[in-house]
Amino acid sequence: MSMEQERGIENSIIECTGVCKSFETPEGEHQVIKDFNLQAKENEFLVLFGPGQCGKTTMINLIAGFEKVSGGSLKFMGKEIAKPDPSRGVVFQSTALFPWMTTMGNVEYGLKMAGVKKQERQKRAQNYINLVGLQGFEKSYPVQLSGGMRQRVGIARAYCNEPKVMLMDEPFGALDAQTRYLMQEELQRIWEAEKRTVIFVTNNIEEALYLADRILVLTNCPSTVKKEYIIDLPRPRNLVSPEFLALRKEITSIMDSTL
Amino acid sequence: MMKKSVLKGRASDKTINVCCACAAIGLFLILWYWGTAATKLGMMIPGPLEVLGAIGRGLFGKVGRHSIMAHVGYSMMRVMIGFAVGSIAGVALGLLMGWYGIAEAVFNPLFRIIRPIPPIAWIPISIIWFGLGEDAKIFLIFLAAFSNTTLNSMAGAKSVDPEVINAAKMLGANERQIFTTIVLPASVPSIFAGLQVAISSSWATVLAAEMVRSSEGLGWMIVAGMNNNDMIQILSGIVMIGIVGFILAIIMRKAEEVLCRWNKSGE
Repeated sequence: MSMEQERGIENSIIECTGVCKSFETPEGEHQVIKDFNLQAKENEFLVLFGPGQCGKTTMINLIAGFEKVSGGSLKFMGKEIAKPDPSRGVVFQSTALFPWMTTMGNVEYGLKMAGVKKQERQKRAQNYINLVGLQGFEKSYPVQLSGGMRQRVGIARAYCNEPKVMLMDEPFGALDAQTRYLMQEELQRIWEAEKRTVIFVTNNIEEALYLADRILVLTNCPSTVKKEYIIDLPRPRNLVSPEFLALRKEITSIMDSTL
Repeated sequence: MMKKSVLKGRASDKTINVCCACAAIGLFLILWYWGTAATKLGMMIPGPLEVLGAIGRGLFGKVGRHSIMAHVGYSMMRVMIGFAVGSIAGVALGLLMGWYGIAEAVFNPLFRIIRPIPPIAWIPISIIWFGLGEDAKIFLIFLAAFSNTTLNSMAGAKSVDPEVINAAKMLGANERQIFTTIVLPASVPSIFAGLQVAISSSWATVLAAEMVRSSEGLGWMIVAGMNNNDMIQILSGIVMIGIVGFILAIIMRKAEEVLCRWNKSGE
């Protein structure tokens, strides 16, 4: 394999060409995603930004492998995505933690399934528990944690399998505004410490601009990419700098209204 | 500070509950006493003092060939074996039906027809199959435990959050691992709801089985009392059945509290 080909694969970890997705409903076929093109590069923070019910979650489900495309091609490191895999970690909006397991139990779960020995996996899990700032809560059950802390567990759990790609489906959507700001800062810190390709879904423009290297603005259902913005503002970003506000105004103005 | 006051509130609630319970039991005993002394129906049965006295004497003494404690032991032994085997089978079948559509399609219709038949209806058949010994009684208790755990376990397996299943898949769990590490623990609260009903149903069934044919156990105490016209022995049996049933329910609740700790907030 030539150098260039190798780099080509490495450069584009997720490659999505002309992807369509429709669901059968009693009223007939309902198309959610239409002719969707996307390329996610290594260690890039890519944000999918779009109105309410525009199929962003479906896109995450397709990349994760929970659902299959109805048309087009969706490749992960050069191979068609067929089923879920630990190399593509998912952080769910609902957290989807295992409520009968402690923080440690949740974070080490993936390694346990892979047959990693207890001592080794707890050491590795502890590393990620520390990274998300949950030391001291290893033995807590999810019900005993706040919303923000639960999502930290969710992030650590996905990170612990050392995935190539992190898929985040509105992970902070259920949090109150204050916690949300804090978690955005935390996520940026974690991402700087452990670089990964991130595909992050949100309908919050501030969140998108704060975190993204690149924003894909999506249209309303059926969803497709409307416009791309490369965000090269220095990090951490100032939420009230003139450049930030100008971008915010521009992107908001081109976004489809949900109503 | 807040936590402390909440705990305190809970503790005093508990004290009030215990006081109410004691008062109600006391009132019941007084009514019983008054009833046997002053009413026509009551005069046919012995009063609480005679019955409690008889239980006190018989607890480690002799009623028939054994002490009351031994009778309790015989009944419990039968319940424990039947309940253990029946609930393991019921939980296993229920989880399979809840998780694999094909298992539900095959077993559910059959099960729906068998389930409404009370275990005691099987007494004649159990005697034909297993004779008059222990096996027949254990078979009946097995049925009681089995039919009461299956549906709850199935409901538990069906109600597992699909997103949690996706999370497990994403973390690399295979089909078998998803069943044992996700579906099974997620169903534990529903399973326990079934086990609660199953234990009281098993307890009721052992007494019925013993009343039909046995030479020991609490059910025997009642039947033997009836045959000898010994009202005190009958009522001693009834009181012991109530007490043991009550203790069994408490044990099950405690076990549930420990195993389902994760399901309760604010601990």
